Amino acid sequence: MSDWGLALRQVGIAAVNVLCVILAAPLAEGLLRKVTARIQSRQGPPIIQPYLDLMKLLGKEDVESGETPVMQRLAALLAPAAVLTAACMTPMGLRAPLGPWTDVVVLVYVITLCGISTLLAGLSAGSTYSLLGVSREMMAMMALEPILAVMLIAGSLQVGSLRLDDVLSGSVYGSGGFAWSGLILLCVMALAFQAMVQRMPYDTSEAETELMEGPIAEYSGPKLAMFKFAQMAKLVVYGGIAVGLFVPWGSDGPLWLAWPVFWLKLVALIIVVTLIAATHARVRIDQAVRRYGALLAVALVALVLAGMGK
Amino acid sequence: MGPREILNGLRAAHGEGIQRADIPSDTRLYLFVDRGALPSICRTVFRDLDARYVISIGADDRPYSGSFMVAHDFAFDRDHVLCSILADVPAENPTVPSITPDVPAASWAEREIRDLVGIEPEGHRYLKRLVLPDGWPEGVHPLRKDFAWDTVPEDYDEDRPFRFDDPPEGCTVVPFGPFHPTLDEPAHFRLYVEGEMVRGCEYRGFMAHRGIEKLAESVLGYNDIPFMAERICGICGCVHSVAYCQAVESAVGIKPPPRAELIRTVMLEIERLHSHLLWVGLACHIVGFDTLFMQSFRIREPLMWIAERICGNRKTYGLCLVGGVRHDITPEIADELRGVLGTLTSEWRDVVKAVSRDRNIQSRTEGIGVADPALVKEMGIIGPVARAAGVAMDVRKDHPYAAYDRVHFRVITASGCDVWSRVLVRMEEVFESVGIIQQCLDHLEPGPLQSPLDDMLPVGRIGLSSVEAPRGESHHFLITGENNRPRRWRVRAPTYQNLQGVPSMIRDQRLADMTIALGSIDPCFSCTDRLETVEIATGKLQMWSPEEIATLASPAPGVSTQEVHCR
Repeated sequence: MSDWGLALRQVGIAAVNVLCVILAAPLAEGLLRKVTARIQSRQGPPIIQPYLDLMKLLGKEDVESGETPVMQRLAALLAPAAVLTAACMTPMGLRAPLGPWTDVVVLVYVITLCGISTLLAGLSAGSTYSLLGVSREMMAMMALEPILAVMLIAGSLQVGSLRLDDVLSGSVYGSGGFAWSGLILLCVMALAFQAMVQRMPYDTSEAETELMEGPIAEYSGPKLAMFKFAQMAKLVVYGGIAVGLFVPWGSDGPLWLAWPVFWLKLVALIIVVTLIAATHARVRIDQAVRRYGALLAVALVALVLAGMGK
Repeated sequence: MGPREILNGLRAAHGEGIQRADIPSDTRLYLFVDRGALPSICRTVFRDLDARYVISIGADDRPYSGSFMVAHDFAFDRDHVLCSILADVPAENPTVPSITPDVPAASWAEREIRDLVGIEPEGHRYLKRLVLPDGWPEGVHPLRKDFAWDTVPEDYDEDRPFRFDDPPEGCTVVPFGPFHPTLDEPAHFRLYVEGEMVRGCEYRGFMAHRGIEKLAESVLGYNDIPFMAERICGICGCVHSVAYCQAVESAVGIKPPPRAELIRTVMLEIERLHSHLLWVGLACHIVGFDTLFMQSFRIREPLMWIAERICGNRKTYGLCLVGGVRHDITPEIADELRGVLGTLTSEWRDVVKAVSRDRNIQSRTEGIGVADPALVKEMGIIGPVARAAGVAMDVRKDHPYAAYDRVHFRVITASGCDVWSRVLVRMEEVFESVGIIQQCLDHLEPGPLQSPLDDMLPVGRIGLSSVEAPRGESHHFLITGENNRPRRWRVRAPTYQNLQGVPSMIRDQRLADMTIALGSIDPCFSCTDRLETVEIATGKLQMWSPEEIATLASPAPGVSTQEVHCR
């Protein structure tokens, strides 16, 4: 295949990924709500409710508010843009679409942009509660982003490449055989994933009962829809990264097998996230940061092991 | 020690200060003293005799005796005596020496007397307005008898903002309320925050003061007031209604028939059960554990239905009249109630197990919102907050009313002084309440529901009544009057005292813990503000027969409640 043909194909896959995330993210949220409701002895909203919520928000008046409305608008657009860009680099049933042209460093930067958008949102609002949310978000980011970076770098070390399609295909377990560091990182991921997608018990920066949604307190209408969507999409995209890094089995098969297998894995992951969220009380920010710190330390140990090829 | 011994002791120490005393029963003591002797007598009662401060009352008695009146209520919990220390205040010079320097818990009550009756507490160090808004004109006092209940002063400036104190050096102000997701009623805390740490706060409340006491003293009659008293609070309404009726009964010496007392006890405990279940659920919600919140509310629901079966309403039972009750508990309903209690007990055990095992809830609530026994004493803190500090006070045991002298139950205490202990206390009290209701149902003998009220009630008698609400003691003070209504009726809800302890409880804690620390006293701002809430559902009126209401209360299996409501 010519270079142009390959490029076209990969861009096509990326577009499919973006479309899938746009369609599946609200559905994942709907599933999460339904399962939560069942755990709480409730009927729960219909599974398509998040679509309706987003449509309703999109149809509302676009109110300018907060201290710097321009920054507020920018933040609202940056959030979904960053998540969807990350979607282009994540394998979702096929190998990472933009894999040949990007590397893990770009992915880490793009993911940091998601956090930055929340910071901008809180700063542009300028209210006491949103600023408190910002300071919590920053504390969480400083501990969580390195954890993800360490995982990706450990994978790169194992396969000796920074290319995304190499790294996001179970690289942490090493190119051949089995690596202890991969297992340790899997445990770290299992404990940190909830915090990365900002679900209970780690939704400290938005904590409704403490900070009244924190950074996004001043948002409404279409801009709020953007943020809500970004949050829903985050679950799917981060899920894709986690699956790519740690649960690669079955992804190498033909398309008709690999594609459904990936989404089944994602659904299973979402159900686990829901179960944890529905059965835990929110931790306080200082408790949360202490836990993140401990996880980061363990991840660093695993990185050293990975460097030694173990 | 009975009231006579207390009186003799006080006479020995303050001989000339005590003008006269009245001991209507073994459980009440009314002391009429010189206004100048108030601080020293109150100090002796509060410090040396270790009585608990309850409330202070100011009254305009000018039309009857020509002077104002101030009363300080104390409770001798160990001796089962409620005591009121009253003093006349001359109309031309309405000042009274403040007892707040000796009894810190009296701070709010004295500020309220200054606002509403216009009696100046001399020596009080913080005489900021408490109840009246800042835009209210000086020298106009709504609880004076020459102030008509339906007047608004002409120069009242409704839009004037509150004047706040300056925050301490180095602190930023975080406004908390009047509207906040965990503060579902209007109250405003200005938190002084350093980083994430709360260093202090200023409280402005009473934004919904609707003058229920004024209405009772000028518009309603003795037997209208129980229904309005019930509307003081949407959670512990029955408590206020019972407390008011008991205050009248204690003033004029009526005794309700035994069956009525048992039914009052049953309804009070049903109310406690629903409130405890609601609060544990809310506490879980505040720390972000919505699953237990939902389960608590599901378990609570059958209680609401059974309340509706008994009196036609999920809440606001309309139960009490002076001298009796309006609703009977038939044997069928008693059986149903036993069934509901059985299910509740087993389901609640599961919740208790789940909460006790949850490490996140424990780590969020242990060592948070600490109220130690010293604070309990100084601020007059009551109810589960006091019991969680190891102070075994429970009005049901200390000053038995209704049928509580005929049933056995334990006073649950814990020693942690923190939010976690409060959770433990209230979870455990659910089982005691179930036991009390079961014993009452066993004791129910056929008999009248109402004592006859033939004559006009005597005038100028004082009545005190305390009822253990789910959140602590509700205390009512009453002076009977002319025209078939009381001269003065003062309601002291539990939150009134507990809220005064909150600034100490949240000092030097994290902002994130503020909501659960405040939530842990189960604050009821409507009680404190003595607000009347009226729910106007739809313009349409529909008449229901008792049978129809009963079918509503127990939907046929397979019919969802939603369908029933839409019918």
